[in-house]
Amino acid sequence: MQSWRRKALLLALSASWLLVLLGAFPLLRLAVPTRPRAGASQGWPRWLDAELLQSFSQPGELLEDAPELPQGPRGGSCDWGACFDASKCRGGGLKVFVYSAAGPVSETHRRILASIEGSRYHTSNAAEACLLLLPLTRDSSAGECSPVPPQWNGGRNHLVLSLHPAPCPRTFQLGQAIVAEASPTVDTFRHGFDVALPLLPEAHALRGGAPGQLRQHSPHPRVALLALAEERGGWHTAGTNFSACPWDGHCEQDHGPEQTHPGATLPNATFCLIPGHRPDASHFLQALQAGCIPVLLSPRWELPFSEVIDWTKAAIVTDKRLPLQVLAALQQMPLTRVLALRQQTQFLWDAYFSSVEKVIHTTLEIIQDRIFGASAHPSLLWNSPPGALLALSTFSTSPSDFPFYHVQQGSRPVGRFSALIWVGAPGKPPLKLIQAVAGSQHCAQILVLWSSEKPPPPRWPETAVPLTVSEGHRKVSDRFFPYNAISTDAILSLDAHSSLSTSEVDFAFVVWQSFPERMVGFLTWSHFWDEALGGWGYTAERANEFSMVLTSAAFYHRYYHTLFTHSLPEALRALADEAPTCVDVLMNFLVAAVTKLPPIKVPYRKQHQEARPPLAPEGRGPRPEPQPPVRNCINQMAAGFGHMPLVSSRLRLDPVLFKDSVSVLRKKYRSLEKP
Amino acid sequence: MCAAVKYSLRGPALIPRMKTRHRIYYVTLFSIVLLGLIATGVFQFWPHSIESSNDWSVEKRSIRDVPVVRLPADSPIPERGDLSCRMHTCFDVYRCGFNPKNKIKVYIYSLKKYVDDSGVPVSNTISREYNELLTAISDSDYYTDDINRACLFVPSIDVLNQNALRIKETAQALAQLSRWDRGTNHLLFNMLPGGPPDYNTALDVPRDRALLAGGGFSTWTYRQGYDVSIPVYSPLSAEVDLPERGPGPRQYFLLSSQTALHPEYREELDALQARHGPSVLVLEKCTNLSEGVPAVRKRCHRHQVFDYPQVLQEATFCMVLRGARLGQAVLSDVLRAGCVPVVIADSYILPFSEVLDWKRASVVVPEEKMSDVYSILQSIPQRQIEEMQRQKWGSVSNPLFLPLIPPQSQGFTAIVLTYDRVESLFRVITEVSKVPSLAKLLVVWNNQNKNPPEDSLWPKIRVPLKVVRTAENKLSNRFFPYDEIETEAVLAIDDDIIMLTSDELQFGYEVWREFPDRLVGYPGRLHLWDHEMNKWKYESEWTNEVSMVLTGAAFYHKYFNYLYTYKMPGDIKSWVDAHMNCEDIAMNFLVANVTGKAVIKVTPRKKFKCPECTAIDGLSLDQTHMVERSECINKFASVFGTMPLKVVEHRADPVLYKDDFPEKLKSFPNIGSL
Repeated sequence: MQSWRRKALLLALSASWLLVLLGAFPLLRLAVPTRPRAGASQGWPRWLDAELLQSFSQPGELLEDAPELPQGPRGGSCDWGACFDASKCRGGGLKVFVYSAAGPVSETHRRILASIEGSRYHTSNAAEACLLLLPLTRDSSAGECSPVPPQWNGGRNHLVLSLHPAPCPRTFQLGQAIVAEASPTVDTFRHGFDVALPLLPEAHALRGGAPGQLRQHSPHPRVALLALAEERGGWHTAGTNFSACPWDGHCEQDHGPEQTHPGATLPNATFCLIPGHRPDASHFLQALQAGCIPVLLSPRWELPFSEVIDWTKAAIVTDKRLPLQVLAALQQMPLTRVLALRQQTQFLWDAYFSSVEKVIHTTLEIIQDRIFGASAHPSLLWNSPPGALLALSTFSTSPSDFPFYHVQQGSRPVGRFSALIWVGAPGKPPLKLIQAVAGSQHCAQILVLWSSEKPPPPRWPETAVPLTVSEGHRKVSDRFFPYNAISTDAILSLDAHSSLSTSEVDFAFVVWQSFPERMVGFLTWSHFWDEALGGWGYTAERANEFSMVLTSAAFYHRYYHTLFTHSLPEALRALADEAPTCVDVLMNFLVAAVTKLPPIKVPYRKQHQEARPPLAPEGRGPRPEPQPPVRNCINQMAAGFGHMPLVSSRLRLDPVLFKDSVSVLRKKYRSLEKP
Repeated sequence: MCAAVKYSLRGPALIPRMKTRHRIYYVTLFSIVLLGLIATGVFQFWPHSIESSNDWSVEKRSIRDVPVVRLPADSPIPERGDLSCRMHTCFDVYRCGFNPKNKIKVYIYSLKKYVDDSGVPVSNTISREYNELLTAISDSDYYTDDINRACLFVPSIDVLNQNALRIKETAQALAQLSRWDRGTNHLLFNMLPGGPPDYNTALDVPRDRALLAGGGFSTWTYRQGYDVSIPVYSPLSAEVDLPERGPGPRQYFLLSSQTALHPEYREELDALQARHGPSVLVLEKCTNLSEGVPAVRKRCHRHQVFDYPQVLQEATFCMVLRGARLGQAVLSDVLRAGCVPVVIADSYILPFSEVLDWKRASVVVPEEKMSDVYSILQSIPQRQIEEMQRQKWGSVSNPLFLPLIPPQSQGFTAIVLTYDRVESLFRVITEVSKVPSLAKLLVVWNNQNKNPPEDSLWPKIRVPLKVVRTAENKLSNRFFPYDEIETEAVLAIDDDIIMLTSDELQFGYEVWREFPDRLVGYPGRLHLWDHEMNKWKYESEWTNEVSMVLTGAAFYHKYFNYLYTYKMPGDIKSWVDAHMNCEDIAMNFLVANVTGKAVIKVTPRKKFKCPECTAIDGLSLDQTHMVERSECINKFASVFGTMPLKVVEHRADPVLYKDDFPEKLKSFPNIGSL
């Protein structure tokens, strides 16, 4: 848009804003000629002989729909069925091969490669791949795109990905290739075939990514209502005192000072107006990150990942031809909707947009969903936290099978729990522990994972619940494998040396049922930033807060075994195998990254004797080399995740009458209090 | 706007189940067509509701008195449908901006009978279904009889079935409508498009820029963001009453009931039946029915005769295969019967796909995978099948769903409701002001007959203190969303609560930060089902469970003040003000209902004991008090139509509470007692 047009738009917006402030609607109504009203107004007539009206179709016509051969596609256009050969993708889901660059690898190309290699989609064998990915990047030397790749085949089963705008001139026709590009127009976009991407700035994080800026749910009273995207990249905020607005939105107007924020600062406003103009699209991501509700003033552009993301929950698409209506509608928007939109921007930013890796994985996940068809993610999984990249459709497509959607679904996690006991080096069967756990009314079964050099004893104690022993688990990460034998939603993860009473187990399980997405544990660690070392550290010392619970005694949902095994990068799991205490850190990182919440601590009688110091792991597999690798574990994890996901908590959940001075007979969990 | 959100979440009304006859079906149909348009963007924030206004005087006439319009043979014909039309190119938004409150207004052209030059009718004047659809629009809030204020125009020319009209002449009739203007902002409804031999998937009548709500669109004809896909109406489903069937296994796993199928599909079906035996039922047209039995209501398998559509209720999955047309009326029958549709029709745009997530209620299988359909369906987990059978399209959503721990620095606003106990009030103010995270103190002066003390008499505290005077002495004033509240956290506290320690209050705030969408309070209370009396009972102390907290001192998000004041269902608010009791129970109900979550009780505190108010405390232990509180629970449960309170067995204590650990190293050493 030329600058004069932009100025005109700004002027029009300001002018109409003023009109809204002045309550211009009565005026406007006067301006519309009213029709002389002759008598009462009239609706559609009630026909006296309506009973005689015929149906729109003859009886049987709907059934006798004459069979014909299905029609093929017309013209050169593509849809999924016509232009993609899904038969190549049988078994194992989507396998992606990335073409390597002919010449020197450009930075963008390197980032695309980096985010696919090591992921569950990657294959290095083009013959095995069902999708061939061709990154369109500016080749610094030639200034042209990569030449036609060897297996091009008219573009069939190809994904042409251009991450940044202004791509190089193409030397070939795209043909049947899926095009993934930033902000396509709705006119050329092939729905259900192409993929709309966000416009990423060159400096976008590779993985992890900056967190959303929203620090509180509701708009702060003194924050501006509107920000308008400026041509040169900044935001122009029109201040209006939101606190003067009662909750239903009728504001005492306070036309505050207007400010222009230069550069790339994030807008601090409730709504961000974005003129529908392609280079503005980076404003879209800024608004999303800032928790400022994007208001697109043109319906011309296909919003990113529109195939799966329900943008009506996070953004507003409108038309700049109606500035008056837009502003009035924004001003009158009920608080409930403002709240919901703002929160959704943050969820979407964090789930799909904050890093190059997430953008690329989302693109591939969309294509995989098309291949899966019936077993793809339902829309709920795409559009509510934690998002489809963390709710694996290979685990289930039923929301109730996951720990995240119970409140929304009005459902509860099913059944009782499975105790999973890891028996390490000393190889002593934990008989007391088995009896205590089997004594819980909530226990469904006990699985012993025997990982000692010694053979397991031939006989095990008689228990009220089934007990299964399985051997040959050498790696510590094996304890988080999604074993088929685990039939319940809840897992109680235990070490052979753990000591728990039946009462403790019972209470912890009941608490877990209220928080099925979190880990509920007995022993805790806390992490801290070590100024002296310039890195993260963690400690087992008892403190007023904690951020991790030990997996040597913790309840959590079985889905985390699937996530641990199938979504974590191989390198991180390898790290955990080298330094066994690292496995606790990794599991806590994983759950915190998914939930963004701290774990839950419940009371534990033997606290002081049992706290296993993180630097000297005991009774668990082969003892690792002393200090350095373990010390560094938390920092390597943080690097692998791209950020520090752990969240601290300052509370413990106790039984309602815990240690109260009343008769112990009143208490349900009385043995919890025995010294 | 609210309604739009609500309708896209709360599904059942969206499904054309036609439970209460045709009318509701058409109201729903039209509402969703509008919703479909809303999803396209331009209309997104227009307020919507489908309440019926119906304040029009309705004219009663005979259909035979409709004026006749003669179309000259050379009258203009519109351009063919413009496939490149999108909202920003073909739609005139200016027409939609005239009305107060930005309401979309729809105008219906009056009914005419169109004949050609030689007097031969162009089509049937109007079908029963189209008449009902137009009646539904006319009865809705969207309708206007003022053509100048209309945003959408609906012609009364019936194009539901392309076979029942003459294409060229119908197009001419459209073109002469008074506001036609190339079809801009005109909305046509069509259920049976195309005709032999090639069966186009969209209406063949030239219609230029008109929007089309059509049954049977394919990806090739559907203008995403412009057209709306609708289901093909099945008269059968509307006529036959089917009993509700809960989810669960049924006699047949997979059933096919369509009678006119392409031979290739028929072969595939027979092969399926041969492979999987009695769990698959493939029905055909009956050939040897006795006279008078309507063939549309029967299906046969070999010599066995089944009632249709009742037989659909006996199967878990029902096939919906494409015929010559993509949209099949059987889809409506199948949904109506609570059978999960298995849609095999490549490139078909499922009805309302802009606003409905079909993955939650159906299985779409590509045509080339038809032979694998049995194994594809077998791989669907039982839980998911049951969810599909329930046809759950949406779910409750917590208004504060983002996991977010608010920054501690923001602090909280304490709101003290007071009448005239000034001395006690001042003590509360002094005590609360010691809490480190207090940001502001708001006194709600609920006494209209007496002025609050002079400024100079109030305790001097380190945070701003404001006094708000109320117009009436009402309990609900405590939960009003005052502009003065700038923090997200609110501490509601009575003017006699002086026993809570500073540590206890600060800890309560910390707990609220970890659970910002819940009520966080001190003494907990419980509701129980009284089997003898067959109603709910209020329980106060020494229970192992809690389901409520008292709001004599409780932290919560200020959003709930807005909900309490403006969105409290039924007459609960006035009941509370009239009885001067139970405002806390009402708040507990409200929060639990909207979030689906339990309260958090903090610290051991079991009751609010204060030296000065023994009389009050005595009263609250009083039998009549308990009876009154029980009555409140029963009243609220009936207004909410459900018991939203959730029972839990835990409370929150500081991490090191009563642990063997040096007290001086604990963050909250002074937690107080019962």
